[in-house]
Amino acid sequence: MSGRGKLIAVIGDEDTCTGFLLGGVGELNKNRKPNLLVVEKETSIAEIEETFKSFLARSDIGIILINQFIAEMIRHAIDAHMESIPAVLEIPSKEHPYDASKDSILRRAKGMFSAEDFR
Amino acid sequence: MRVDQQLRLDEQLLLFMDQLEALEEKRHKLNSLIEEGWFSIAKARYSMGNKQVSSLQYASEMEPLVYIETSMLEDGTAEFKCERKENKTEELKSNTIEDIGAKETGLRRRINTIQKGVKEEDQETDPQGKTKAESGESTPEHRDPLKWFGILVPQNLKQAQSAFKEVITLSAEIASLQSAIIAIRKEMQGQMKEKQQKTEKTQPEMENE
Repeated sequence: MSGRGKLIAVIGDEDTCTGFLLGGVGELNKNRKPNLLVVEKETSIAEIEETFKSFLARSDIGIILINQFIAEMIRHAIDAHMESIPAVLEIPSKEHPYDASKDSILRRAKGMFSAEDFR
Repeated sequence: MRVDQQLRLDEQLLLFMDQLEALEEKRHKLNSLIEEGWFSIAKARYSMGNKQVSSLQYASEMEPLVYIETSMLEDGTAEFKCERKENKTEELKSNTIEDIGAKETGLRRRINTIQKGVKEEDQETDPQGKTKAESGESTPEHRDPLKWFGILVPQNLKQAQSAFKEVITLSAEIASLQSAIIAIRKEMQGQMKEKQQKTEKTQPEMENE
């Protein structure tokens, strides 16, 4: 199974979104919904979660980039996502540097080792 | 069989560790590139003005210039590859430049040799030439998000753009690595459970002896 021409979605603060748009990931036209969400102080958690779930439901998105501090707000939704595509990548923000211990993927990988495994 | 299984587990564990190390390295690089991008955007904002580099400048219509090619492997791992549309825009630019050049030399020759009647004709073809050039050029210019911020943008904004382009390519590699790590983890968990079940079966046999 393969897919060509999938998009990169971004859920981040203004500078993160500006940067990725400069990189050329943005899609916005009258017919389709945008593939990014600029999160500001006024943005509600419900809106972030709804946007995240809508990105997951779309078949044309390959990777979702999300600032880690925003991912913390909707951690339950991110942990519930088990499929390989779209991939969810947590990225740092200006005020919140990347913390590997909070990353969903690394927590899942870390959780495999327990004392019983080494008997 | 058991020794083979253990050897295989050991190999998988080593591969898992290698992949984790590679992931950490790429993450580190991604984080520093993103920070570089933010600094460049901040410097550009300082020179251009606060409101000149913000979400107010986003175009009302955007077309993506980078796509992700996804493929699923047999072991359940997903691979992500980054594809850019830059080559096509460069080809368009070179075609339009050639066309303009040819038309201009043709026009120049005609104007040099003649009179008003023909000059009028040249003027008619001229705007047509220009409109064709504009429509040819406008697609690559329209596509470059750098143009949303003005015609002459500071070098810092271009540096930010190149930093984020690299970040996008790295993101695809990290996504592939993450998928591989999760797949290996699942396989190892399955094999460890099998191993545990076997040791539990053999333990009562040993006790009976």
